[in-house]
Amino acid sequence: MSKNLSELSGRKGLTDNLFEKLGTMAKGNGSPGVKEMEQLAEAFLVGKANVYGSATFYDFTRPENQGKKVYVCNGSACMCAGTQAVVEQKLKETFAEEEIGVMCCLGRCHENSAFHYQGNNYSGDDIKNIKTILDKPERRIEDYHVEAIGTPVLTEVFPGLDAFYAPLKSWLGSDSASLLEEIRTSNIRGRGGAGFPMAIKLETCRNQDSKTKFIVCNADEGDPGAYSDRYLLEQRPHSVLLGMIMAGYVTGASWGVLYIRAEYPEAIDIVEKELEKLYAAGLVGENILGTKFSFDFKVIHAQGAYICGEETALLSSIEGQRPEVRVRPPFPAQQGLFNKPTVVNNVETLAALPWILSHGGQAYAELGTERSKGTKLVSLDGHFNRPGMYEVEMGTPLRKVIDELGQGFRHEVKAMHIGGPLGGLVPVSKIDDLTVDFESFSKNGFLLGHASVVCIPQDFPLVKYIEHLFEFTAHESCGKCFPCRLGSVRGAEMLDKAQHDGYKIDRTLFDDLVETLEKGSLCALGGGLPLPVKNALQYFNEELSPYFK
Amino acid sequence: MKKAYLDKGDNTGSPIGGNGVQTETKVAYIDGQAYAIHENETILSFIRRNLGRDLVPTLCDAPNLEPFGSCRVCSVDVALQANGAVRTVASCHTPVQPGYHISPSSENVQKLRKNIIELVLTDHPLDCLTCEVNGNCELQDVAAKVGIRKVRYPEGKTHLDRQKDLSHPYMTSDLSKCINCYRCVRACDEVQGQFVLSMAGRGFDNHIIKGSDVSFFESDCVSCGACAQACPTSAISDVFESKSVVGTEVTRTVCTYCGVGCNLEVSTVDGKIKSIQAPYDAEVNGGHTCLKGRYAFGFYNHEDRIRTPFIRKNGELVEATWEEAFDFVAEKLTTIKEKHGPDSIAGISSARCTNEENYLMQKFIRAVIGTNNIDCCARVCHSPTALGMQRTFGTGAATNSIIDLKYTNAIMVIGANPTDGHPVTGAKLKQFAMSGKTSIVIDPRRTELAKYATYHLPLRPGTNVAMLNMMLYYIISDGLEDKKFIEARTEGYDEMRAEILRLNIDELESITGVDRNLVRKAAHAYATAGNAMSFHGLGVTEHSQGTFTVMLIADLAMITGNIGRRGVGVNPLRGQNNVQGAADMGCQPHQGAGYMSSYDPEMNKKYELHYGRSVPIGKGLKIPEMWDEALNGNLKALWLMGEDVVQTDPNTQRVMKALDNLDLLVIQEIFHTETTKHADVIFPASSFLEKSGTFTNGERRIQRVNAVVEPLPGTKPDGQIICEVMTHMGFPQPDYHPRWVLEEVSQIVPFFAGVKWDELGEQGKQWPVKPDGTGTEILHTEDFKRGKGKFHFEPWRESEEINANGKDYPYIITTNRELEHYNAGTMTRRTRNVQILTEDTLMIHPDDAAANGIADGDMVCVESPRGKVDIKARITDEVRPGVLSSTFHFPDIMLNNITSDVHDSEAMCPEYKVVACRIRKSKGKFKHQPATEL
Repeated sequence: MSKNLSELSGRKGLTDNLFEKLGTMAKGNGSPGVKEMEQLAEAFLVGKANVYGSATFYDFTRPENQGKKVYVCNGSACMCAGTQAVVEQKLKETFAEEEIGVMCCLGRCHENSAFHYQGNNYSGDDIKNIKTILDKPERRIEDYHVEAIGTPVLTEVFPGLDAFYAPLKSWLGSDSASLLEEIRTSNIRGRGGAGFPMAIKLETCRNQDSKTKFIVCNADEGDPGAYSDRYLLEQRPHSVLLGMIMAGYVTGASWGVLYIRAEYPEAIDIVEKELEKLYAAGLVGENILGTKFSFDFKVIHAQGAYICGEETALLSSIEGQRPEVRVRPPFPAQQGLFNKPTVVNNVETLAALPWILSHGGQAYAELGTERSKGTKLVSLDGHFNRPGMYEVEMGTPLRKVIDELGQGFRHEVKAMHIGGPLGGLVPVSKIDDLTVDFESFSKNGFLLGHASVVCIPQDFPLVKYIEHLFEFTAHESCGKCFPCRLGSVRGAEMLDKAQHDGYKIDRTLFDDLVETLEKGSLCALGGGLPLPVKNALQYFNEELSPYFK
Repeated sequence: MKKAYLDKGDNTGSPIGGNGVQTETKVAYIDGQAYAIHENETILSFIRRNLGRDLVPTLCDAPNLEPFGSCRVCSVDVALQANGAVRTVASCHTPVQPGYHISPSSENVQKLRKNIIELVLTDHPLDCLTCEVNGNCELQDVAAKVGIRKVRYPEGKTHLDRQKDLSHPYMTSDLSKCINCYRCVRACDEVQGQFVLSMAGRGFDNHIIKGSDVSFFESDCVSCGACAQACPTSAISDVFESKSVVGTEVTRTVCTYCGVGCNLEVSTVDGKIKSIQAPYDAEVNGGHTCLKGRYAFGFYNHEDRIRTPFIRKNGELVEATWEEAFDFVAEKLTTIKEKHGPDSIAGISSARCTNEENYLMQKFIRAVIGTNNIDCCARVCHSPTALGMQRTFGTGAATNSIIDLKYTNAIMVIGANPTDGHPVTGAKLKQFAMSGKTSIVIDPRRTELAKYATYHLPLRPGTNVAMLNMMLYYIISDGLEDKKFIEARTEGYDEMRAEILRLNIDELESITGVDRNLVRKAAHAYATAGNAMSFHGLGVTEHSQGTFTVMLIADLAMITGNIGRRGVGVNPLRGQNNVQGAADMGCQPHQGAGYMSSYDPEMNKKYELHYGRSVPIGKGLKIPEMWDEALNGNLKALWLMGEDVVQTDPNTQRVMKALDNLDLLVIQEIFHTETTKHADVIFPASSFLEKSGTFTNGERRIQRVNAVVEPLPGTKPDGQIICEVMTHMGFPQPDYHPRWVLEEVSQIVPFFAGVKWDELGEQGKQWPVKPDGTGTEILHTEDFKRGKGKFHFEPWRESEEINANGKDYPYIITTNRELEHYNAGTMTRRTRNVQILTEDTLMIHPDDAAANGIADGDMVCVESPRGKVDIKARITDEVRPGVLSSTFHFPDIMLNNITSDVHDSEAMCPEYKVVACRIRKSKGKFKHQPATEL
C-alpha cells in the first residue's frame, strides 16, 4: 500500500479508473501488453513497475491467463462433490489443456459441475450439453430454492422500483443523524465475517472532515461455498443499492462503489442494468429527487483475487495498486479509498439497511439473539437434499437448518465447513450444540462467517481437505506478510509429501506452523486458516494421525 | 528501577513510579514498568524510545519508512491489564494505548519470532560467509538473536536460482537473497518517489521487479541508492558493496555536489574510499542522498587529477615544484601590482570550496593585493537572489528551512528543477506535490515536478516579471492580500498596489503565453493556503530581470503574509554546495565578509583591525566586468580558484579572448579544464574528500566537512595554497586549518559570532548563530533585517537579447541541468555517471522538430549571433514549441559558445536562460575538441 499511489490514482478517481483500464486491456488477450501498461503508467504518473506489478497479481490479468478459453471451478464445494474431473475431461474433448483455466469459485455450490465460458457461468447438467453451449454461449440463470423462516428481511419479495424507492424522498429529507440512530438501535453487525457494528463504521466516516467520501460494497465474496451475496446481487440488487445510497446519506459520501467478482458475470450485468434504471428514474445522480443529496455509482469488475475480499486489499485494488493488505490504523473509515474516508461493507450488511430504515432499528433489534441481531442468509451446497438459500433469524438451531430447510444430507457426511475456507470445520456430532449466530459459533470454537455450508463426505480424506485449504491459502495469499506467504506453502508441501512420499509430519513443527500463521499473520487469510486445521486435528485426530509423527 | 531523567519538564524515556502508579500523564507498561506514552506512537517506537533499538527485532521496519507490517518479527504480547488475557500484535503498526501491558520478550513472542525466521530461511541461501553483507546483514542478526539452530522443514520450493542483475554502473541485485520485506519498494516510493521498483506476482511467487520487469540499467532508476541502503540483506546492493563492513573506517562529511548539503558517511579501507552511505540521523537528508552524493566519488583519485604545479614557459605548461610556482606567482603579482596598481588584479573564488577557503581568498585579494576585485560564481547563479532579498527583506538568504515543508500547505516553485538540480530537496518537493497538497510550478519546461503539480504555468522564458505581476494583480484585485501583515510589517505597499492595478492583463497574458485563468487560480491558491512556501532557482536569477523577479517573489510572500514563521518564506535553492558561504565570506566586490559594504569606511576599519592591513574602499569588478577590463587591457592578472569559466561562463569565445589578453592567469584546480588551457600557473588542489572546513547549505546551515582521506600526493587543499601564497607575498599565515580561520571569521562576521569548529556537531548550525552558539531556523520572525519589508514594483521588459536578435533568431534556447552531472561535469564526467548520461542533448518540441525536418537523435546546428554548436536532438514535449533546452555538462558541445553577454540589470548575473537562436539539421561538423589533458 502506497499513500502516493492512492493519491495519484485518486486524481483521476473513479470515472477514469486505473484498475478498470487494466481489466479492459486484459480482455482481448487475457493479459495486457507491456507497452499498453507503460502508457497507462505514464498517464497516471505512476511507475511502470506499479502497473506491471498489479497486472501480474490477478488471475485474469496475469500473463499466465493468456490463451485461457474456459475455466473450471475448483472451489471447495465442487471439489467435495467430486464433479470436476468429469467436467474437465469433457472440456478436454474440445479444448487443449493449456486453454483450460480454473476459477474459484463460481458460486454454483448448490448443483456443482461448475465452469465458466465466455462471460457466462454454467453448472449442474450444463456440461452434458457442452456442444450446444460452445455453439451458442447463452446465459442461464440457474434455479435454486430460496426460503425464509421467520421475518424475511433480505428475501422479502421485491415490490417494484417505485414502491421500493418510495420512502427515499422522505429519508433524504430527514436528519441523517436520526437515521444513524436507527442503525445504531438495530445493532446490525457486519456480515463479512468480522461482525463489526455497522453504526460505528458509519459514524467514524461521518465524523471525518472531508469533502470526498466513499461507500464501498464488498461484493468480492470469494468464499467457496458461499453464494448469498450472489443471490442478493442477482435477485435483490435494489436492497444493496438503496442500502448504499442511505449509507452515503448518513456519512456524507457521494460515491458508491460496487466491487464485484469477475467470477459472477451475471451479478455484474444485473447490477449494471438495474443502475441504469435508477439513473433513468432520477433515483441516483445529482440532487436526487430534488434534494441536496447527490450520489453516484461505479461498478468495478474484479479480476480474480480472493484477497480482495479483505477490505484494505479491496481498496488498493480499486486504486490499481497491488491488492496487498494494509496495516491499520488508519482504518478505511478514516483514510480509505484514494486516502479518503470510506465505509466498506459486505453486500448482505448493506442489503439490510432499507429494511432497518423502513421498519425501524427496534424492529430489527427484536430479531435474533441478544448480541447477534437480525437475520442471516445460509447457503447450502449440493450435498443437501434441498440445497439453496435460506434466511433464518439469528439464533436458529443449526439442526433446524440442516434437517428442516436442507432436508438432510443426500449421503453420509462427516463434517461441514461452515463460513468459508477460514471458517470452522464442524463435525456432524457438534450440530446440536450450535445455533446460527456469531456467539454460538465462536463459543464452540467455530466461526459463523458467511454461514455457507460445504459438506465433507464420509469418504473424502480430511488430509486432502486440509491440504486443499493450505493450497487455497497459498494460491490466494497476497504475499505481503511472511507467515502467510511462506507458511501456507510449507504446510501444503508437508501435507502433500505425507500423502505421497511416505513422509511423516513432525507434529511439533506442524503445530508451530499453525501457531505462527494464527498469531503472526497480518490478516484473516493466514490468520484464519488455522481454525479449520485445528478443528480437523481436534475432531479427526484418528483419521489424520497416520500422517504425523 | 532505572533512574528517571527529567529534562525540560519532559518525562520522556523515564519509567514512571512503580507498578500501578498513575499520574496525569498517560502511561503504558513494558514488562510491568510504567512509561509515559506519546500521542500517535506505535508500540515499537514506544519500546525503542524507552528501552533502546535492540529489544525488539525487526526486518521490514526502517528508520525513514512508514510502518508496513510484513515481517511480523516485531510482534509483542499485549494485555489490557496486568496478567490479563494476552493478544499478540505487530508492534510496528499498533498504536500504544494507555494502560497497555506489553511483554516485548515473552516466551510466546520469542517462539513466534523464531518460527517466522525459520520460515524465511527455508527460502534463503545459507552462504552467509561468502555474502557481501556478512556481518552487516539484518537477517543474519535477527536469526542469531532469535536463536535459530536448524530449519526443520523438508525441502520445498525455493527461489534460490534467481539470476543476478549486474547491468547497471552502480546498482546491483541478487534477488535470491530477497526476503520480500518491501523496504526497497517503499524507499523508491516514500523516499525518492520514483516508483521504479514494485513487487510482481502473488503470494509465494512475489518478486521484486524494476520497471516492466527489466534490468536496472533499462529501468527508469535514478540511481539514488535508497533501495540498496534500505535492503536488509544484499538482495539489492551496489557495485561498491556499500553495506559490506569488512575493515572499513567511517568518516562523516558533507557532499560537494549541491546546496542541499547532504551528510555523507564515507567508508574507507586502508586510506582509500570504498563507499558512501547516507546517515539516517542527518537533519538535512535523513538517510537519503542522490547518485552524485552516494556514488559519484570516483573522481577523487582519477588518473586525470593534477598532481604537480605547472608554469607556462615558452608557451608550454611545464611541471614545476611548489616553491617554484609560489615564487613565480608572488613575484609576478608583486610586479603587476607595482606597475599597474592593485586594481589590475582580480580573483574569482569558488563556491565548491569551504567557507574558510573563501574567506582566505577574499582576504588575500583585499588585504594582500589591495583590491575589491573579488567575485565568485554566485555572480553567475544567485547574485540576484542575494541582492533582491537584501533590498526587500535585508538578508540575502533563505528565510526558512527545508523542514518547513512539514508545516506548509502549499509550495510555489519558480524557475527551478530540483529533482535534477537538488535531488534530495527535489524528492521532498515531489513527495509534497504527490501528497495532493497545493503545488504551483512556474517553468517554461514541463519538469518532473510540473507533471505532479496542481498548477503548472508554462511561461515563455524571460517573462517571469510579467507572470508574477499577473499574480500580484489577481491577489490585489480579488482582495486576497494580508492587510494586517502589510500594515504591521511592510512599507511601499500603496505605491506598488497602484502600479499593479494599472497593468494591462491582456498584454501580460500574451507576453507570458499562459492562460490568465490558470494564473489567477494559482495566485488564489498561493494567497489562500494559510502557509505557503516559495522556492526558486536559476530560472529566476539568470535573466536580465533576475533581481526584479526575486523582489516580486518577496512581494508575493509579503502581500500574503507568508514570511516569518514555520511553513512559509522565500527559499532560494542555492546551486553549488557552498555558494551561500562564498557570498557570506565576502567573495563579492561590493560587500566584504558578513555583507558589510565595501564603500563604508567604518566597516573597513573593522576589517583592517582583523586583517592588520589597510583594505580598499569602493568599487571592485564583477565577473562580467573582469572580462570587459581584460579585453580592454586594464585587467592584467586573474586568480581563479576552482572555476572553469571557459566552459561555464556565457559567450565562450569572448571569455577565452579575455583570458588570453591577461599577463597572468593563476588557477587552482583538481583537473585540467577548458580554462586551464589558458593558464600561466596551475596549482594542484585537493578535493572536498581530502580536506576539512565548513560548507553552508541553502538553508544557511554551516556544516562540518571532514577530511576523509589524505590529500592526493602532489596536491594541497585550496586553503593551504592561499595561505602559502600570502606568506610568500609577505603576509605570513599559519598552515590552513578551519579551526583558526573560523575563529577569525566569527570575530568579523556578526552572524557567525557563535560558530566554533569544535562545537558545530554533526548537524551543523543555521546562521545567524548567536554568541552562545544557538542557531536560527527561521528569519524575520519579529522584524525584517532591514526593519520593514519593502515592496517594489517592477514592470516587465523584454530582454535585450530578444529585442536585438529575436527577429533573425526566432527560437529561444534556455539552459538547464541534468541529474547525473554537476555543472561543467569536471568531477561527474570522471565517474560512472558518464555511463548513465553520456552527452548533452537538445530538447526540442515535436512540432519544431517536424518543421525543421529533425528526427530524434539527429544532429542539430544551433546558431546564435555569438556562434554555433552541433548537438543531438531529443524530441520531447517537456519543452513548448519555440523553446529549446540543453545543458553544458560536456566540453564536447560547449553550449556557452552561443549564450549571450546580456545580464541582470542589477546584479550582473548572465542571462543563460534566454538565448535567441535558429536551428537546422546538420551533419555535426562543428564539434568542439575537448581537452581532457594537456
